[in-house]
Amino acid sequence: MSKRISSYSIERKKARWGWIFVAPTLIFFSVFSFYPIFNALYTSLFRKKLLSLKPPDFIGLDNYIYLLKSPDFWNSIRATVVFTLGTFLPLLIFSLIFAIFIMSRKRFQNFFQIAYYSPAVLSSVVAAVIWLLIFDPRGLGNQWLNLIMNTPGIDHKWLANSVMVQMSTMLVYFWKYVGYFTIIFIVGLASIPQSIYEAAKIDGANNWKNFWYITLPLLKPTTILVSIISMLQCLRTFSTQYLFTQGGAPLAPINVITLNIYYTAIRDHRIGRASAMSIILFIIMMLFTWVQFKSSRADEISY
Amino acid sequence: MKKLFTIFIFVLLLSMTVNSVTAMEITFWTHEDPNRTEIEDRYIAEFEQANPGVTIKRVTNASGKIIELILTAFAANQGPDIFNMSIEDEYAYIVNERLAPVDFEAAGYPSLQAVYDAYIPGVLDPVTYKGQLYGLPLELTNWCIFINKKVFKDAGLDPEKDYPKTWEEMVEVSDKLCIREGEILNRRGFDFRYPYYLVAMVPMVEQLGGQLISDDGKTAIVNDEAWLKFLKFMQEWGPSGRNLGSPTYTNARKLFNMDNNDIGMCHTGLYQIGRINADNPAFYDSKEWMIVPFPVFEDAVKDVPAAYYGHYYMVNGQKPKENQQMAWKFIAYMLSHSEEYLTKVNIVQPTVELMSSETYKSMPYSDVFTNDMAKGHIVYYGENSAKIQSHIREAVESVMLAGVSPEDALKTLRRKVQEVLDEG
Amino acid sequence: MSHVLQRKKNKINRQYLIIDIFIWAFLILVVLFILAPTIFMFTASLMPANDILKMPYRWIPKGFYWQNYWQGIRGNDGSFIYIRNIFNSLIVASAVAATTVIFSALAGFGLAKYYFKGRTLVFMLIMATMMIPFEAIMIPLYLVTTKLGIQDSYAGLIAPFLVNAFGVFLMRQFFITFPDEILDAARIDGASELMIFRTIILPNSIPVVATLAILTFKAQWDNLLWPLLVVQSEEMKTIPLYIVKFMAEKHTDEGAMMAVAAMASIPILIVFFKLSKYFLGGAALYSSRKG
Repeated sequence: MSKRISSYSIERKKARWGWIFVAPTLIFFSVFSFYPIFNALYTSLFRKKLLSLKPPDFIGLDNYIYLLKSPDFWNSIRATVVFTLGTFLPLLIFSLIFAIFIMSRKRFQNFFQIAYYSPAVLSSVVAAVIWLLIFDPRGLGNQWLNLIMNTPGIDHKWLANSVMVQMSTMLVYFWKYVGYFTIIFIVGLASIPQSIYEAAKIDGANNWKNFWYITLPLLKPTTILVSIISMLQCLRTFSTQYLFTQGGAPLAPINVITLNIYYTAIRDHRIGRASAMSIILFIIMMLFTWVQFKSSRADEISY
Repeated sequence: MKKLFTIFIFVLLLSMTVNSVTAMEITFWTHEDPNRTEIEDRYIAEFEQANPGVTIKRVTNASGKIIELILTAFAANQGPDIFNMSIEDEYAYIVNERLAPVDFEAAGYPSLQAVYDAYIPGVLDPVTYKGQLYGLPLELTNWCIFINKKVFKDAGLDPEKDYPKTWEEMVEVSDKLCIREGEILNRRGFDFRYPYYLVAMVPMVEQLGGQLISDDGKTAIVNDEAWLKFLKFMQEWGPSGRNLGSPTYTNARKLFNMDNNDIGMCHTGLYQIGRINADNPAFYDSKEWMIVPFPVFEDAVKDVPAAYYGHYYMVNGQKPKENQQMAWKFIAYMLSHSEEYLTKVNIVQPTVELMSSETYKSMPYSDVFTNDMAKGHIVYYGENSAKIQSHIREAVESVMLAGVSPEDALKTLRRKVQEVLDEG
Repeated sequence: MSHVLQRKKNKINRQYLIIDIFIWAFLILVVLFILAPTIFMFTASLMPANDILKMPYRWIPKGFYWQNYWQGIRGNDGSFIYIRNIFNSLIVASAVAATTVIFSALAGFGLAKYYFKGRTLVFMLIMATMMIPFEAIMIPLYLVTTKLGIQDSYAGLIAPFLVNAFGVFLMRQFFITFPDEILDAARIDGASELMIFRTIILPNSIPVVATLAILTFKAQWDNLLWPLLVVQSEEMKTIPLYIVKFMAEKHTDEGAMMAVAAMASIPILIVFFKLSKYFLGGAALYSSRKG
């Protein structure tokens, strides 16, 4: 009898401590994350202009209806989706390939990891400034591509042509983050115990079979982690597109949702509509994440 | 010990209250311009000496950034005391009643009418709203064409005779001045002042008989033919046409001063002269540059030069009355130095006194600017001018860079600008 | 070994050699592609602006054009404010790294090792904040900041980033694998929960803590949007704001621009190289966990 009571009170005590440890973080999120998003949700129901001193008009879901009918907003969705898929798929595939290649080398592993990761260390503003010069018609971009394709003097219009400018933003993002995800995959690969491979060898498996039937499935949690993080990052991209448009690139092809939100609020002063866009982006992000989780239920992996 | 402590606290509190009574801080946000910063810092020092207890904090930002900064500050009701932007960006603040009207007494005028009389007729109209005056001009600027004579001579042309007078000539002359490596331009002739479509490009449409907005302010895009001709012209100019320039190259006016044989002409204002002198005195002294008027289309129906725009000093209406008064007093003090603004910064304050002065008349090429300004009109300003400008930008970019047909681009432009007008 | 087997072995060895060479070539080409822009930045920063956009690009500068760095530090208005801006970035990034590590560790520990009602819900809520795009909340955040009166100050730059969901996630993942026996043993010995956290958990989490600290520091160093909103004076600007301002000013030349970019990158590259051993994958990380 007394034993049960004492273990119960230990549980209670531990539970309380759990709350104490979590509390500061929860309070912070309430003030700086939950309150603002609810505020944004509230604002999105009004017609509010940033400079106006008059109280805003309540218009319910009109902002949302306008956005869903607006070709400009659908262009932003298109730009964001194209950018996300065009970036995160190559990121996923190549970082896995790089990780495998690096791990197969006996030397220079650290060198490659550091080298591949180094662009992620630079700030996005620095990256944008460097690539703006590379993509200048007279810059390295044209020089190298012309060298490889043997087409001297051709301007590939990295920042001018609508298709090229989208690819340029994807290239910059890929360059910046492929090393980061390579390292994550390397950690994932390293956590697969050698014993499994040894057992498979005894059973007569070769490298290709190893990869397909052992490595890939065991990498699933890492792959999901990489997908979700890289995708969320892509959906939130801002600096590269912002700085490219400031540097002269056309807005329409790369007017991703975040950039549209920024301009709608800051240039057009329409804070109600910008808030509605933010809520829609939030919903899109939650949707993508949920889909990813659903399509692959593995969370813990046991060997 | 305790007594000492309480006395100390008392003195501290007293000193704090005394300070807050006599100390007034006026925050002054403006855009960067090293020549103007120099003289205005001096005016600040002189004013602070003549008005003890007042400190003026001057902050500069790049002209693009300052629009956002002032907006976010005002949105939080924390705007600066004094600020200036181009009128098409400032107008929204007037309409939303964020500003303090000009305190003519503090500014040293006997009456409001005296203020109007001191300035050229019409220049204070953009800042007059519901019978009140809300700003005093820091500058009224228009842009003309600057020419690098060396580049002309290098291409075998005579700048005095062969400079372009029509847009068609501009195309041919630029083409002769271009040095290309394949498709890549190493030297351009002329290139447009790209982000500023309302100032630099709408007048081109007006030359052909078109209008951005109908006279009654209700309809967007008047005279399709004029607009189509303009859009076709820009398409021809860009990479898919004659390949004479594009928004993705470095801005022409940034390159002009350096005299690096990479640009022949640029489109900018009187203030550029002072900047050439500051950035590259050798180039300035060599006099290998000249200024010519804004070109006109061959079959133009109207002779319209580039629009002029103005920066007006304005005062935050949410600050206490004393701050507003002091702010207007300081603004008037600065603006009383019109001649120095002209000679040191090369910006023109459109006072009757200055425009008729010898100093102004004897500035090199001032006649080119004056003649063009007399023919021109002020840039379109309205509560939503920024958005309209971005739509024009999109239209031009889509025909130049994205291969959209001028007809489609015009349709989109009309729809979007009309929407802005209808929404209000 | 018989002839047939020997030849087959040679053939397989040759195939392996070809694959080997291919992999090396691939990795090295990729390294060149990845390092090229950074090298470009450094070499361009040592050239006068005219040379940077000349075709073809001369990778080796003719001399050390120090004027670019001077112009970059000096600023177009000669105020040397860049030094103060670098200092600001250092303070803000360090402060945010410190608070993030502490709060994330506390919350991650609480979520990993303590069972309380609603634990899963709390974890889900915290993860959901990762999906809130910053642009969605930037205006309300700005209004909160001005109401607290902390705009244009260090507090205002640091406050929205005191802790983030990714940090909590990382810490929780790590603590889940932390053996319970050690904690229970400490409890039997009479240690309080806080003491356990301080003396057992933290010292044994150095790799994760270091990783989180570096990642957070770097994210803050890089932050453009929030300082763009909340900083109003020259003195409080952070490095990204200085770069954007420098880029937009009418007098800027590309050489000085690259010098400014290089100066912004050197500190963070040094920090990263020195601490890289903490988050490199492969043998390095795994051996430290096993041991």
